[in-house]
Amino acid sequence: MKRVFKPVELIVIAGKTGRVTIKYPFEGPLISQEFRGLIVISPEKCIGCGACVNACPPNALEMLESPDKKILRYYIGRCIFCWRCIDVCPVGAIKGTTEFELATNDFLDLYTYITHSRAHCTCGTGGEPVRMRRYVIEKAPIVENYASKCPDCRKKSLINAVSLRKVGFVGEEARTS
Amino acid sequence: MEKKLERLKRSIWIFHLNTGSCNACDIEILDALTPFHDAERFGVKLVASPRHADAILLTGPITLESLPKVINAIEAAPRPRILIALGSCACGGGIWHDTYSTVGGVNSLLKILKERGIEVDAVYCVPGCPIRPEALLYAIALIKGLVQKKVKPEVATAE
Repeated sequence: MKRVFKPVELIVIAGKTGRVTIKYPFEGPLISQEFRGLIVISPEKCIGCGACVNACPPNALEMLESPDKKILRYYIGRCIFCWRCIDVCPVGAIKGTTEFELATNDFLDLYTYITHSRAHCTCGTGGEPVRMRRYVIEKAPIVENYASKCPDCRKKSLINAVSLRKVGFVGEEARTS
Repeated sequence: MEKKLERLKRSIWIFHLNTGSCNACDIEILDALTPFHDAERFGVKLVASPRHADAILLTGPITLESLPKVINAIEAAPRPRILIALGSCACGGGIWHDTYSTVGGVNSLLKILKERGIEVDAVYCVPGCPIRPEALLYAIALIKGLVQKKVKPEVATAE
């Protein structure tokens, strides 16, 4: 007899509990504000320093280099959403969102590019991005004298300065003698 | 082929293929199938054999050890077959993208499949580490045409 009433009891329990299934694609998802989702890089603020590239564990942020340009590439497909780039960004250009609906049928949708033009040294080789140089000069005013030089030119000027003090002349003569 | 993919919009039977993942994405798949999220609302059913499946859920960076089995399983799925890459590992290799023992994501797998003459009709990519169960439901809704995709490529110039 007890067995016969079992389905009826279940209906009573189900009626008390009600519907538990969420209607997800047709209503909002269940995410908290602490959820770590997609990062958004602001091209207005980014200085192209590459701190995020060094911090990124899966190399989702990569710096593609050419003589004239530095391109910051963000590939969402490889990102593990750890938000370490947000912690290390010196200018706060990277913002975190709670966005997670990233499904796509085209891999090209997952790429973000930010192109930086390089500042050129007097010898012609490309150095750091223009914005990064401006940022460094703002932070430490003394560097204005040598911030525009590439590492090779900077080394050369240092050797020249040392040789001027020790030997008395500069340039090729100092190296040969 | 577009017509054949239209036919898949009725109900998608999925086969779950773990290719060396850490089991986080696999647990999220099970979470999506529980009554709370209930993927069966969309006709999704987990099947035991790739021969019965419409879509293959690929989790993990494809390790060299699992590569022959993955190719066999994909070959066994009937056309039209959909490949759904779940999680960062399957989409682009994740933190294993340049290790010696993995192929490095579904892009490299597609190249290998092309060499062997195995065609895959549609590839969907669901980034996340691990994916949320809602992200899987969103991908299924995207295949069925219930929602619009949100991500788009961005190219910005800073001076």
